[in-house]
Amino acid sequence: MASIMNSLYNMRLLDDLSQKDTFVHRLHPLVKLLATVVYLTVVVSFGRYEISSLLVFLFYPVLIFAFAEIPVVPILKRLFIIEPLIIGIGILNPIFDHQFITFYGIEFSRGWVTLFSIIIKSGLTVTSALLLVATTGMDKLSGAMRMLKIPRIFIMQLLLTYRYITVMMEEVARTLRAYSLRAPNQKGIHRSAWGSLAGQLILRTFDRAQRIYQSMCLRGYTGEYNIGRQSPMNLYDLLYLTVWCLFFIIARIYNIPFIIGSFVTGGI
Amino acid sequence: MSHHKLEVKDLNFMYPDGHKAINGISFCIHHGESVGIVGANGAGKSTLLMLIMGILFPTKGQVLIGDVKVTKSTLPMIRQRLGMVFQDPDDQLFMTTVYDDVAFGPRNYKLDEDEVHERVIEALELVGIAHLKDRAPFKLSGGEKRVAAMATVLSMQPDVLIMDEPTSSLDPKSRRRIMNILKGFDHTKIITSHDLDMIFDICHRVIVIKDGGIAADGITSEILSDSKLMDLCGLEVPLALQNCPCCRAKKS
Amino acid sequence: MHMADALISPAVGGAMWAATGVVAVYSIKKIQDDLDDKKVPLMGVMGAFVFAAQMINFAIPATGSSGHIGGGLLLAILLGPYAGFLAMSSVLLIQALFFGDGGLLAFGCNVFNLGFYTCFIAYPFIYKRLINKGITAKRIFTASMISTLIGLQLGAFSVVIETLLSGKTELPFITFVMLMQPIHLAIGFVEGLVSAAVITFVWKERPEILENASMGVAIGNVSIKKVFIGFAIAVILIGGVFSLFASSNPDGLEWSMYKTAGKTELEASTRIHDILSTIQSKTAFLPDYDFKTNESEIVTSTDIGTSTSGLVGGALTLILLAFIGFGINVIKRRNKLSVK
Repeated sequence: MASIMNSLYNMRLLDDLSQKDTFVHRLHPLVKLLATVVYLTVVVSFGRYEISSLLVFLFYPVLIFAFAEIPVVPILKRLFIIEPLIIGIGILNPIFDHQFITFYGIEFSRGWVTLFSIIIKSGLTVTSALLLVATTGMDKLSGAMRMLKIPRIFIMQLLLTYRYITVMMEEVARTLRAYSLRAPNQKGIHRSAWGSLAGQLILRTFDRAQRIYQSMCLRGYTGEYNIGRQSPMNLYDLLYLTVWCLFFIIARIYNIPFIIGSFVTGGI
Repeated sequence: MSHHKLEVKDLNFMYPDGHKAINGISFCIHHGESVGIVGANGAGKSTLLMLIMGILFPTKGQVLIGDVKVTKSTLPMIRQRLGMVFQDPDDQLFMTTVYDDVAFGPRNYKLDEDEVHERVIEALELVGIAHLKDRAPFKLSGGEKRVAAMATVLSMQPDVLIMDEPTSSLDPKSRRRIMNILKGFDHTKIITSHDLDMIFDICHRVIVIKDGGIAADGITSEILSDSKLMDLCGLEVPLALQNCPCCRAKKS
Repeated sequence: MHMADALISPAVGGAMWAATGVVAVYSIKKIQDDLDDKKVPLMGVMGAFVFAAQMINFAIPATGSSGHIGGGLLLAILLGPYAGFLAMSSVLLIQALFFGDGGLLAFGCNVFNLGFYTCFIAYPFIYKRLINKGITAKRIFTASMISTLIGLQLGAFSVVIETLLSGKTELPFITFVMLMQPIHLAIGFVEGLVSAAVITFVWKERPEILENASMGVAIGNVSIKKVFIGFAIAVILIGGVFSLFASSNPDGLEWSMYKTAGKTELEASTRIHDILSTIQSKTAFLPDYDFKTNESEIVTSTDIGTSTSGLVGGALTLILLAFIGFGINVIKRRNKLSVK
């Protein structure tokens, strides 16, 4: 139940944030989507022993947080919920990697390096995906997908799923509340009610789908839906994309923190 | 204006399981009329609306909009002229923003995007929620959702508005707001409801449905004040017509 | 068992995207050909339902714990394989975008692991075959149980392969398999029980729903073959191109970095190499593919940042970042105040 409320809150929050009016929000959705994809690909392309070169990639989320006025805490909260799931697989690295690395006289398993690399990467990838939604919103994102020639039928049902998640979650929450009020001290739904509880919800869902279909038909739906006009990209949008892509590529090829470090230590 | 007439002739409908929901209903609604359709739960109100809208087709009899019979082939034309607002606005607001929802109908009729925009703004202003146009439906209040659902239908510029329980589960202020909006329309209106006070306020004519047939059809004030008839049909005289609860004095 | 972006390589992610894309395009075409526009709202709302239903705790008898459902099989049974697959993709995409569950690059992997095996393997080849003899409560139970188990086992195995091919973890193949498969046997068992109960209920109350779903989606051998060939080609193409690139230059971009940055090489451990090759020769799984022993293994101290320059540079980068972030914030706030 708590998870349903949290998820509802999370979706509402991201939707609220996407309504802000900053220059990042005003950018063309396709540009933001592409920048995110390039970013993810580059971050993920680093080998598993990379740590220092990855640090530069923090620039992207930090700048977006700042320019788009996205609150850091809720996004990081989400990240901390997700992180353990990802670390779950990496956590065994220090055990399985038997090579040791000496660092200022301290010896430790190389697995810690790979684990740390995974933690950084997952932080960067999860945050950038959440930031994409928080600065773009689902409806505009679907417009960008349409521009990438993703079939209408898929976008339509994706949007419907997005739209009805809140409705269905509230419905499930109501049902679970009604159940728990009459079955205190139960950890979950008892076996005797498995079929009927979830089954009733499915039947109600089918009825709802039927009514939605009717209301669509009454407004002229014939299976094809035109999602509306997409605004064209302007120079700023292209500039934004180009600058980020250049930055990502340079940061991929050159280990910028290392260069800064050599410069400073060499200089002093 | 004969083409705005809505006529139902000897309508019969039987569900596949053999349940006879509609039993020989006939009536005619003229341009500009506001008609309330009332009846107990299960009397056949919803089925009747679905037959009028062409969601279901009668087993016998016919529905005429103007001089056009409602059949599969005339549906696109019929549905442009009849607009139906569903009871649960969540069923009607299926897009991600209010704007897209209101634009859904006009876009399906392949209007160009400028005209779609014009119509959307017009419809939203008509119900007074132009400021909510970029909102996601799940962030609207119950009353706002109801009004937004009305706008989705108004953007298609129908001649006839059909409403299923427009005031159910609304707080008194939102209910009053919907009623005021409804009163402001000069469309032909067909409203089903259990909110008899609202019907009494808005509709000059009322059709009482009982067991799939018409129990009464006439002027609202006469029918709704007939306590015997109301009782027989599982209804009740509207509060507005009942005696004062404090002093038992009769209202004038 | 969502795969995360951080655990995959671009090659694996790209190949799985391609495979998923082929199946999705085929499914969309199938639905359009059926001219069943009624399915679209149903797919949408059922996707939303599965999303919400994943949060229901089902108490597992006699254990004191509770389990969840994934919903892939349920969608395939109630909507048919094509619509079910698409609905599952929507659910996974929204989870990736709004909840960071899985990721955009790993989206292809996740749709494949959680959608493809249930909708296009378990459903047509197990569930349908068993049910075609005529629906009874017992058959629903057997069919749902076996098909969820198989679907999840395939999915879990797929996760192992994708992770290992991506080479971001140190887990040996055998250990990983020994971890994943039994866990998913247990998960599958619970999901099988719940699915069976739900399907039986729907079948008793509204049998036409199950009939409609399977109608018009008869999976002949031909169509399934087409799908298989299609995505096999896509996988081979994308995966092949990427791995060619990867094997000729150890890890592509990384190699070019060695050259440009002129880093010194560090000797790779021979011990890990030995362990892995014994495991590999024992299991003989993908014998030609070197999981961990290509040259990209070579680690330099700069990669890790253990050199002084690396450390200083890293620290400076972070300080600079914090400075910029706060700076923009302060400027923005001031601007807002001055506007007011």
